[in-house]
Amino acid sequence: MSEPTNKASNEPVISLSNITKHYPMADETFYALQNVNLTINANEYVAITGPSGSGKSTLMNILGCLDPASSGEYRLDDQNVASHSEAYLATLRNQAVGFIFQSFNLLPRASVLTNVMQPLVYRLMSGSSRKKMALEALDRVGLSDKVNSLPNQLSGGQRQRVAIARALVTNPAIILGDEPTGNLDSKTTLEIMALFDQLHAQGHTIILVTHEQEIADHCHRVVRLVDGQIESDRLNQRAKPSQETPPQDQTKQVMHG
Amino acid sequence: MGNLLHAIIEGAKAAIQSIFAHAMRSALTTLGIIIGVAAVITVVAVMEGLSSNISKELDDMGSDMVTLRAFTSPDQQMLGLSNKLNYDDFLQLKAKTDGVRDMTATMTAFSLGGSVTYGRKSTQTMITGTDSSYQNVVSTYPEFGRFLSQSDDLRRRRVAIVGTSVIKKLDMPANPVGEFINLSGDWFRIIGVAESRGQMFGFDQDNYIIAPFSTIRSLKGASATDNIDILFRPETDADLKGIQDQMRQILRKRHKLSGDDPDYFEFITAEKTRKQFDSITGSVTFVAAGVVGISLLVGGIGIMNIMLVSVTERTKEIGIAKALGATPQFILSQFLIEALLLSLFGGVIGLLLGYGLAALVGLSMPGAGAVTVPMWAIWLSFGFTTTIGVVFGLAPAVKAAKLNPVDALRYE
Repeated sequence: MSEPTNKASNEPVISLSNITKHYPMADETFYALQNVNLTINANEYVAITGPSGSGKSTLMNILGCLDPASSGEYRLDDQNVASHSEAYLATLRNQAVGFIFQSFNLLPRASVLTNVMQPLVYRLMSGSSRKKMALEALDRVGLSDKVNSLPNQLSGGQRQRVAIARALVTNPAIILGDEPTGNLDSKTTLEIMALFDQLHAQGHTIILVTHEQEIADHCHRVVRLVDGQIESDRLNQRAKPSQETPPQDQTKQVMHG
Repeated sequence: MGNLLHAIIEGAKAAIQSIFAHAMRSALTTLGIIIGVAAVITVVAVMEGLSSNISKELDDMGSDMVTLRAFTSPDQQMLGLSNKLNYDDFLQLKAKTDGVRDMTATMTAFSLGGSVTYGRKSTQTMITGTDSSYQNVVSTYPEFGRFLSQSDDLRRRRVAIVGTSVIKKLDMPANPVGEFINLSGDWFRIIGVAESRGQMFGFDQDNYIIAPFSTIRSLKGASATDNIDILFRPETDADLKGIQDQMRQILRKRHKLSGDDPDYFEFITAEKTRKQFDSITGSVTFVAAGVVGISLLVGGIGIMNIMLVSVTERTKEIGIAKALGATPQFILSQFLIEALLLSLFGGVIGLLLGYGLAALVGLSMPGAGAVTVPMWAIWLSFGFTTTIGVVFGLAPAVKAAKLNPVDALRYE
């Protein structure tokens, strides 16, 4: 089993200061995010919520290094993300970020194993060690018996597990979920959330973008965005404990940007 | 460097998967390249075959034989003139030129109509009057019987040498020496059969009859209008240019030409024939190259088109790859390699197809000779297809590499 990020739990993995993202519109500028300050420490379990149009997805794209901010500073895993080339950002995404999407985004023609190995293709890594790591990741999500299946032979929950295995395989600093249960029924949603709880318990830093209260309830910290600004950032004392999560007081150390 | 190699290997794997996932589309895409390369290989192979065949024929003919014949310039033709070489020219040249081993005069007996009869059979052939030196100049020796002798010429004997095709056409015995044939009312006795010369450019080289020069001349009525060709072979190591200059001076003096007047005769050497042929080959190759170039251009555009479609189709896939950490360089090389492989597949198939077509042409076209595909044509084809793959694959690959990951992921 690969080790989760080796940072101490009180070290910041993500720190945003004065992040602004604006798009030019016809005759005015649209601000998707305005002066967002946010620090997330290692092994935090954070939900980013808010109504549609609040800037959740924009924040998620910036956190995932998919989109640069218009201004402000973003440090991910101690590296300054701003002012870097697309090639550098690609490498950063590969090494520090594990993405989980609402629509799974698996390659339809590739087997489960190939899908999980895909992020490793972009590293200098031999085929055999790629396979070994992918099998480990699939074992962690309980899909060791579906290695050679194609995505369309799997249920929605199983597909999302494949996507989670793909996010885990690179052992990233953060796992970033964009409405990860949005396409799943309530029973499967519970299964997947249990899996997130479990990964958090193993030491991973998890950030979920969601508009579902149920999902936010699982997380230990809830950041609420409205109109591109952080409206509230609170610890979730009622967080539904997963049976494997040992009681910890780490969430009290959250620094509010 | 390691990164690049890695990207190339992984890109090639992805490209091969993609090509075979759309096998039919890939095949149709490469059709332009296949046709282009097949065309170039066929043309080159057939031209090479013809060329080597011609060289061989020219060597067989005696590459040092020179033909001297009358030449009428286009300007003179406009004035209604027609230059001629006559028997006296031949006698003068024969007497006065140094360095010539054998020299003969030939006269084509057009006035005899070229019609020959044996028994009830008759056929058309070329009747030539010449003398005993002919066999040494042209290197054609009798298979049966004998060639013309000096006395045949002196005594104007009505004797003839026939080519092997004439024997077949007239249903004569395999060895017709001693038989009589009728040339426009005059009977000739066959004294020899010339060895077969086969075909050149698909033309029968054995359909002719040779008779003594003086006999043909007398049948034509010793008119002053006879036009002859003079064939000669220089001595070994002789200065051919010097010989030609001697002859030129003798003939110009006989016809009282002044400095500016053009020659009324021309020398045709094997070298000149070869050059003429080479220039024909060159033009054919040039035209073929143009057609092939257009075909390959169209093929390249086909590849670019399908690659652009492919990039659009796979936008989401590209977005995923980028989210998972594929660098723009990686995406670029993946699509570039796909275009390159498509082009090269087309090149390989075109090469095989072209070779097959050339072999087929070689079988069906007499005189095409052994069809060979020279190495340079193969390298040229591969060079060309590689270039086309890279040039026309570049735009779609750059488009893919430049896709914004957020937009690409959102693409449905």
